[in-house]
Amino acid sequence: MRFRIYRYDPESIGKPRMQDYEIEFDPQGKKVLDALIALKDGLDESLTFRRSCREGVCGSDGVNVNGRNVLACVTPLEGLKQPIEIRPLPRLPVIRDLIVDMAQFYQHYRAVKPYLINLEPEPESERLQSPEERAELDGLWECILCGCCTTSCPSFWWNPERFLGPAALLQGYRFIADSRDQASGERLDFLEDPYRLFRCHGIMNCVEVCPKGLNPTQAIGKIKTLLVKRAL
Amino acid sequence: MNRPYFLNLLRIGLPIGGVVSILHRASGALLSLSVPLLLYAFALSLESEQGYARVCGFLGGGIGWLGMSVLAWASVHHLLAGLRHLGFDFGYADRLATARKTAWGALLLALVIAAGIALRGLV
Repeated sequence: MRFRIYRYDPESIGKPRMQDYEIEFDPQGKKVLDALIALKDGLDESLTFRRSCREGVCGSDGVNVNGRNVLACVTPLEGLKQPIEIRPLPRLPVIRDLIVDMAQFYQHYRAVKPYLINLEPEPESERLQSPEERAELDGLWECILCGCCTTSCPSFWWNPERFLGPAALLQGYRFIADSRDQASGERLDFLEDPYRLFRCHGIMNCVEVCPKGLNPTQAIGKIKTLLVKRAL
Repeated sequence: MNRPYFLNLLRIGLPIGGVVSILHRASGALLSLSVPLLLYAFALSLESEQGYARVCGFLGGGIGWLGMSVLAWASVHHLLAGLRHLGFDFGYADRLATARKTAWGALLLALVIAAGIALRGLV
């Protein structure tokens, strides 16, 4: 199989470059991460990438494969056009090869206060929700923060410091929609901003690439609707 | 530390929704930029009979026909893509499969309508 992989060594003065690899590898039933591990083990131990759970749960091996953001561990090799081009997630600073600095991404995540805010005394057992209230959180809580969506979004490319991006906005809505949370007003106040929220123009690149099949555009639309309703 | 980042737009696949959105912006820019030219042509056509004949002559020529066809496409595409985004804002068709269909629909319908207008201009 043939691969073209983005290489960058911060200790050299050189710019990033694409390196070609060819390896005997049976793609049947294998994922992109299997090939990356085989390349590192067999051809080039300096090739650097993140990975952990290898089954689409931890979200650490987000990369750009043939122009599309994916999780390497759940992306089948079969059917990919060769040479398979693998690059780091777009727009985030590259630390080395396929590893990007996620600091900006996490900063936006922290900004939406991704935790329950409820100032009432803690109940003895738990804060109950009806099945309907709990169902409101489906399609929101499953996000694994891999960064595939945010780094595929042109609004994030052009305003990475000011636009929160689909992942953080999805998480923001996850707590606004939570019946146990008491800070919806403050959350909406924070999001009501031409950049943080309203840079989303609904092109749905985020939905196209989400490896968990989530729909951040829909969550963002619901935040916008709540803002309109609140203003009326 | 100044780190590089990957953002080569020629190497990143743009889904159909992204294509329609970029064309929405491009068509909007084109329509805005054409306003002075259209106003000039309109004013010239109202000025005198000769002015009117000059504008008709220009629009009847190849470049005029091409320009008006492109503007016809820009108007229709901008309208259809705009209605699509307006629908999203109201929570309609914001699921991926539907969004892809409406994107293709807006793109192709705008091309067909613009082609129809352009062909009428030839007759």
